[in-house]
Parts: sequence; C-alpha cells; structure tokens
Amino acid sequence: MDRPIPNGSVVQLKNVTKRIGKRTIIDNLSLDLPEAEVFGFLGPNGSGKTTTIRMMVGLMALTDGDVIIRGHSIRTEYEKAIRHVGAIVENPEMYKYMSGYQNLLHFSRMIPGITRQRIDEVVDLVGLKGRINDKVRTYSLGMRQRLGVAQAIMHKPSLLILDEPTNGLDPAGIRELRDYLRKLAKNEGITVFVSSHLLSEMELMCDRVAIIQAGKLIDVQSVRQAGTANDASAVSTVVFEVDQEEGALQLLQGRFGVKRSEGGLTIEADRDTVAAVNAELVQQGIKVYSIRVLSKTLEDQFLEITGGESVV
Amino acid sequence: MLFDFIQLIRNENMKIYTRVRTWIMLGILVGLVLAIGIIALTMGESPNNWTMMQTESMILFMLVTIFTVVISAESVAGEFTAGTIKLLLIRPWSRSKILLSKYISLLLFALLQAAVLFVFTFAVNAILFGYDGSQAVTQQVLGVNRDIPPLALMLLEYICQIVNLIIVVTMSFMISTVFRSGGLAIGLSLFLLLGGSMITGLLSMLNKAWVDYILFLHMDLTPYISSPTMDIREGVSVSLGFSLGVLAVYYIVFIAVTWYVFKKRDVAA
Repeated sequence: MDRPIPNGSVVQLKNVTKRIGKRTIIDNLSLDLPEAEVFGFLGPNGSGKTTTIRMMVGLMALTDGDVIIRGHSIRTEYEKAIRHVGAIVENPEMYKYMSGYQNLLHFSRMIPGITRQRIDEVVDLVGLKGRINDKVRTYSLGMRQRLGVAQAIMHKPSLLILDEPTNGLDPAGIRELRDYLRKLAKNEGITVFVSSHLLSEMELMCDRVAIIQAGKLIDVQSVRQAGTANDASAVSTVVFEVDQEEGALQLLQGRFGVKRSEGGLTIEADRDTVAAVNAELVQQGIKVYSIRVLSKTLEDQFLEITGGESVV
Repeated sequence: MLFDFIQLIRNENMKIYTRVRTWIMLGILVGLVLAIGIIALTMGESPNNWTMMQTESMILFMLVTIFTVVISAESVAGEFTAGTIKLLLIRPWSRSKILLSKYISLLLFALLQAAVLFVFTFAVNAILFGYDGSQAVTQQVLGVNRDIPPLALMLLEYICQIVNLIIVVTMSFMISTVFRSGGLAIGLSLFLLLGGSMITGLLSMLNKAWVDYILFLHMDLTPYISSPTMDIREGVSVSLGFSLGVLAVYYIVFIAVTWYVFKKRDVAA
C-alpha cells in the first residue's frame, strides 16, 4: 500500500510555501527527513517553526509546494499520509473532562487496528499507569506531556512530530523525554521531528538540526560532527591557564596560532600536541593550572549563521 | 468503513455523556415534568392528562432546545477554545466526516431529549390524572378539529417541534463552527428561539412578497396539524409544502456554510 521510500527519506518537504495576504510566512522550504533520526528544527520565536509543522500535519493549507509522507502527498492523499504521523502540536491539549484512558480510547478509535492491549502498553511506556483513570484536569503539565506522547505513538507512526516538547518540563522530565526519543529513533526506526528555540537542548537530543529564520531554511547541520571530537587527530581550540602568561606567550611565539584570550592562552592543536605543549611549559617552570578544550557549541554556530539576530 | 465511522460517533457521544452537565440537563427535564404534575395535583386540580402533556411539552421543549443549543455551541467552538481540535484533526479522517460525526451526535442528543420528554410527560400525567385515550378528547378537550386519537396528535406536535429544534440546532452548529465562539452561538440561537415569534408578528404586518420567504414565519409548523394552510400575512396563506421548501433551503444553506468553512479553515493558535 505504501510506496517505497525514495532515497531513504520518510518525509520530504518540497518547496513548502505559506503566504497569508502579502506576507510570506514560509518561503520555499525544502527538507528531507531520513529514517530513524532525531531531527531538530531550530529557530528563534516567530521564525515559522509551528507554521511549518501545522502544514506538515494538514492543519494549515499549503500556499505552494507539497509534503510527502511515506510516498503520500498531504495535499491529495491526506488520510493515507497522516496515517503515518503522530504529533503534538504546541501544547498537549487533551479533553480535560475525560480521564487519561478515555482520551487514549478516543484517539485509538480513530485509527483502525489499535487494541486495548496496545493502549495499556503505551500507558506503561509513558509511566502513567497509576493515574490513567483520573481526569486529565488533575494532571500536571509533565503528565499531560506524557499523555500527549502516548497518543502520538499509539499507532506506531513512522514520523513523530513534537512541537516544543520540553516546554514546561522540569530537568528530570526533559532528560527522560530526551532519552526516550533517542530510544524510539534507534530501536523502532521512527523519525522524530522536534522543534525548539533552545539550542542546548537540540544539541543533546538530535542527530541533525535544520535552522530556520524568518521562514527560510538557513542550514542543516549534523550535531555530532563538531562537538564530540574524540579522535586523536582532530584539532581543537585549547585554553591553557598559566601563572606567567607573558613567559608562556614568548615561549610558544609563532607556534600553534597561540594568542592571549580571556582566562589564559589559546592554541589550536590536536591531543598529542596539547600534551607536548603542557610538558614544555612545565619544563620551563611555568605553572599550568588548567587545560580545557573550547568546543564550539551549536549556539555559537547558530548565532554565527543567523548573524546573531533573533528578531525577525 | 461504516463501522469505523460509527467509532467517530461513539467518540462524540462519549464527549457529551461523560460530562456531568448533560446528566443535570436530563435530570432537570424529568424533574420539571414531575414537579409540575405534583404541584397541579396538590392544588386539587384535576385536569385532563392530555391537556397537561400538551402544556408541559410546549414549555419544556423550549428547554430541550436551549440544552441542545448549549451542547451544539460547545461542540466545535469548544474544541477550538480548548485546543483539542488539533489532535482531533490529525487522524486519518477527512474533516467533513469528523464534522458529520459531531452533527449526528448532536441530533441524537436532541432526539434523546425529545423522547425522554415524550415518555415522561405521557407516563407521569397518565399516572397522576388518569388515562383517557378516546378520540373525542382531541376535539372536545384539546380543541383540534381532526379525527385522530390524542396520542397521535401529540406525536404530530412532537414532530413539528423536532423540525423546529433541528433548524435552531443546525444554525447554532453553523455559528459555532464559523465564529468558533460558543457564547455567540448560544446567544444568537436563543434570540432566534425566543425572539422568533415577536419578529414573526412584526413581519406579518409588512405587506411585502419577500416576507413569505423569511425563516421565522415557517419555523412553527403546528398550525398545519389542524389546517392545510397557514396565514402568514394579510390575505396570504401558504401550504405545508411551501413552508417545508423554505425550511429546506435555509437548512441546506446552513449545512453548506458550516461544512465549507470547517474544511477550508487553517487551524492556527
């Protein structure tokens, strides 16, 4: 029934455009989401993240372009395309006057093939077993978020879309969600599409991040390439905190691009060189208090790419 | 496929009947039938059971309409207000079918109330005031010039009331969908329900042909029970077919607007 996935992408956004009146909210956005990845969607507030997500799930009409999910167009084959999608759009709003279980039952009836056992299974999975028969009105935000995740994964979707999923979660909840999403992508092969304006969060959660600003796709970056450089030959920026900065600067003059910076001297070097430099400094009687690698965070990259503007 | 669609109606029913207010509404309806009967009994009156049933039904049908309008106003607008509309729509169902399931569950609720009202007004009054099922009652007590038993007359009156109810509820469903405001839907529908007869009176005095096509003049079909025609303004009377035709046109317009707007709407914050 479902067409084979071309080039390994579960979802393709093709020149997605949204105009309201004369304003272009989303401008010609194209993106391929590969299978079994946690894909971040990063942008400042008002950059069009939620609008894009609303178009991907058919809540908003596309002015131009198309979204293809597992080979089905969201415009012309909505029911087939949306079958593969589980989502929370903005807040996980549920029917407050019904119990958590009734809410899940409600959504399960809308998709054929979800058994009662499956409902129990996801209730277990999100850890709501003890409270599932209470009215949603009595739930905390974190519990609502988990109920939201439960309804989104109940029908085993190929694509899970979460819009700002960590809003309102405490640090433990965020960590839990992060681990859980990574597990879903890895073990079940689900593509997870997560939007956020929090950079640090995206770094920890995602394999890849698309950066959007003012409705335009600016860049797609792999998160893990820069940050975790464990291999020995990778050159990184290293800060040495020493007692005699002048002496050290003269000693290393002209080598490794040494320069003075906040908190000490920085050099560009690989791991072995760092050790050698350390030995050299110590031999010359210069005390080294600390050595640390300056990793370029996604935040720096993000600000670099967007030119530091956060206002659209 | 049909079975799957029934699941959608079950969902909408669940939303209506898990709420306490629905049961309070039904409770008020039954309670009032009992209360009116018992008050009449303690006052030492011994009215005919059919007169009581007719009067109570007329008054309480207004309440049935109000209750149904409240639920109908909430049906679509409430999902927008609470934000649940987003999770409801991102399922493998077209918007038309989701809307249809809501509309059907509303009509079912309206019919349930009408049935409850019919059964209770009939049974309570028969128990309290005795049962007289003879055909003579229709003419002598209820004053309707037809050769039918009183129970049949009651059924005819209920059918007229249900037509009226469906028109009002469909309009409130439309307002609820178009403006996404439950309050506006309730307000306008009650205006139509309560102000309708006043407007009808005013319009009847206007001697213009277009007045014949105004919705208010045709909402109450009960005059047709005793006469084949109804006078709607000075010297002009229309047939049941004409009234039903006018109602049908309004109904189709209400439905078309509701579905068009719901299908086309961008669901934004």
